[in-house]
Amino acid sequence: MRPRHRLDPYWMLAPTFGVLVLFFYYPLGRAFLHSLYEWDLLTPPRYVGLENYRVLFTSGALLAVFSTTLAVSVTAVLGSMALGLGLALAVNRPGAFAGFVRTSVFSAYVVSWVSVALLWLWMLDADAGVVSALLRAAGFGRARVLADPSTAPYALAFVIVWKIAGYSMVLFLAGLQSLPPSVLEAAALDGAGKLARFRHVVWPLLAPTTAFVGTTSLILTFQAFDVVRIMTQGGPVRSTTVFVYSIYEQMFMWLRVGRASAEVVVFFAVLLALTALQLWAYRRREAV
Amino acid sequence: MVSRFAPAPRLSRRALLAAPLGLTACPSPTRPVADEVPLWFTYGGKNREVLESLVGRYNESHGRVRVRAVFQGDYFEGLAKLRIALAARAAPALSHVVGEVIPYLTEAGVLEPLDGYPSLRGLDIVPELGQSGTWTGGAERPPVALPFNRSTPIAYLNGALFSRAGLSAPTTWDELRATAQRLTETKASRVVRYGFGCPIDWWFWVALVAQAGGELVESGGRVSLGGDAGVRALELWQTMTRRDRSMKPPPGRDYNAWEQTNQDFLAGRVAMIWTSTAFLKYLEENAAFPVVAAPLPGQVRKAVPTGGTHWILLKDAPARAKRAAAEFLAFMYAERQAIEWATRTGYIPVTTSAIRALEQRGHYDQHPNDRVTIDQLEVAMPWPWSPRLFRIQREIVQPLLERAVLGNESARSVLERARALAAREG
Repeated sequence: MRPRHRLDPYWMLAPTFGVLVLFFYYPLGRAFLHSLYEWDLLTPPRYVGLENYRVLFTSGALLAVFSTTLAVSVTAVLGSMALGLGLALAVNRPGAFAGFVRTSVFSAYVVSWVSVALLWLWMLDADAGVVSALLRAAGFGRARVLADPSTAPYALAFVIVWKIAGYSMVLFLAGLQSLPPSVLEAAALDGAGKLARFRHVVWPLLAPTTAFVGTTSLILTFQAFDVVRIMTQGGPVRSTTVFVYSIYEQMFMWLRVGRASAEVVVFFAVLLALTALQLWAYRRREAV
Repeated sequence: MVSRFAPAPRLSRRALLAAPLGLTACPSPTRPVADEVPLWFTYGGKNREVLESLVGRYNESHGRVRVRAVFQGDYFEGLAKLRIALAARAAPALSHVVGEVIPYLTEAGVLEPLDGYPSLRGLDIVPELGQSGTWTGGAERPPVALPFNRSTPIAYLNGALFSRAGLSAPTTWDELRATAQRLTETKASRVVRYGFGCPIDWWFWVALVAQAGGELVESGGRVSLGGDAGVRALELWQTMTRRDRSMKPPPGRDYNAWEQTNQDFLAGRVAMIWTSTAFLKYLEENAAFPVVAAPLPGQVRKAVPTGGTHWILLKDAPARAKRAAAEFLAFMYAERQAIEWATRTGYIPVTTSAIRALEQRGHYDQHPNDRVTIDQLEVAMPWPWSPRLFRIQREIVQPLLERAVLGNESARSVLERARALAAREG
């Protein structure tokens, strides 16, 4: 369809563009500006150039936060994708029971992060939690998973998996249902078993879905905050201080507006790079 | 009716920024008032109930002034909101903050000097708890803070376990270790009850540093974090958690760890804890065993820091609101309120008249635990007046303490790093 007037596309785009400018580009620009200052909100800001970035990169703080975020996110994304795909394969069939399971699994994704975090905080409580009781009964001793720096990040990742597996399942389900039946039938006629059909037909055809689920889940887990705030407050020993929580700490606990803004800018760059990587991988596959 | 202190109709950019946080003033629709005093407070649970009842009493008895008390989360959440509100020029007239940030807020020029308010002159504040005793050189500075909920660290003992074991409260670090070991119970090499529990928190570490003879900030202003005394303090915790396995390191940070310590004590999982005097009534009322309060032990000397919060007036608030807030504070320091606040919560009475009245009524004979909190004030030590100390505490020392106790790093290397970071803090 051709526009009647050459300005038509622009005013149609204007509302979306306006919202983007107001709530995204402008705050991002301000964050970049603030990242060049030392400011505690109370005393006048002092221009420090790139000092905030230098401190972040040279103190090791950024690397520690990035490593923690990556460990939690990669574990959570791989776990939720594997579980989501497994569940999608299991419930990709007609029937009331499959529908019930689909709804049940997805319901966790609809529940707020705060509720989920509180629920798991109680379940993982070292003394009164049901999970701890089960681990004790199984002979693992007193499980203090949230108090141990070596297990706390993975306990958080586990909770994230529980929460977002339903999201992966629904997307994989959509991907499975959009596969051309003729290809699957042809493979079956050629004598391919269930495993071979999955490995050589279904899995390659699901690649775009997998890429999409992987990227969006990674971004989702990179943005995890509520679950950290409620369950661990970044501890013990900063073992669960992920990117967004670190920004919150800098900004609201320590009132370092400049350093928090520098982290926001770096965080934005990381997410942009991840999205670009996904698009590149997707287009490369399309080209092939 | 709209309060005189309600914001002007035109919303500024800063007001818009503050609005989602619920920071803009909402006029009370229920009764006409001449002056409204927004009060931001950070007490939860029982303390909140008591404060709200006292505020309610004030509002009932002062028809033209209404104090509007708004809960703002725990100390540190409240502080974060307060600072954002200050930046957004939407701060309340009255609030209360932890002592460590008073020098920082004073340096930022946001606190109202209190000597200009006639109703706040001549209050008979307990010296150790007022500005003069809380900070080194506090008496020489313009008064900007008045004590309200003040506390010290204190030991709580499970009376039943101590009596069964024939033990008394430890008075030295060596006795603390020995007592904790005696009370620790293991089954099949698993600890089922720890002898000692304490939040891994800066406040208790500062108490240990002082007991070991150290100072956080030397007289020349250099942040030494106690030097060798700081190392010995941290090593005590490390020894008790790693080698003796008689101290339970609680999970969580900030006040989660404190709550966990209380719960461990009440459930009998820990026989003796260090926490704030503020929890005295809560622990007494909720324990299924007799709770015995005891002063903290000493090493080369006995010493405890003071804690809790101080009332502050915010400079940017309208003058009428600040005057009304000062009137409210005078009401809170009247004997009846000062006594009620202390006896219903466990915080230390902050006026000498309140303590004297309680003595005369025989309160301390009936409640010997309350006497411990008063007697321990003899060894209360002042904080250095350092605007940087707040950041050093929150950003540097607190995370490193946790690392030293829960991780494997040596106390000396942890504190050397903390000192280097503190020096960089400038």
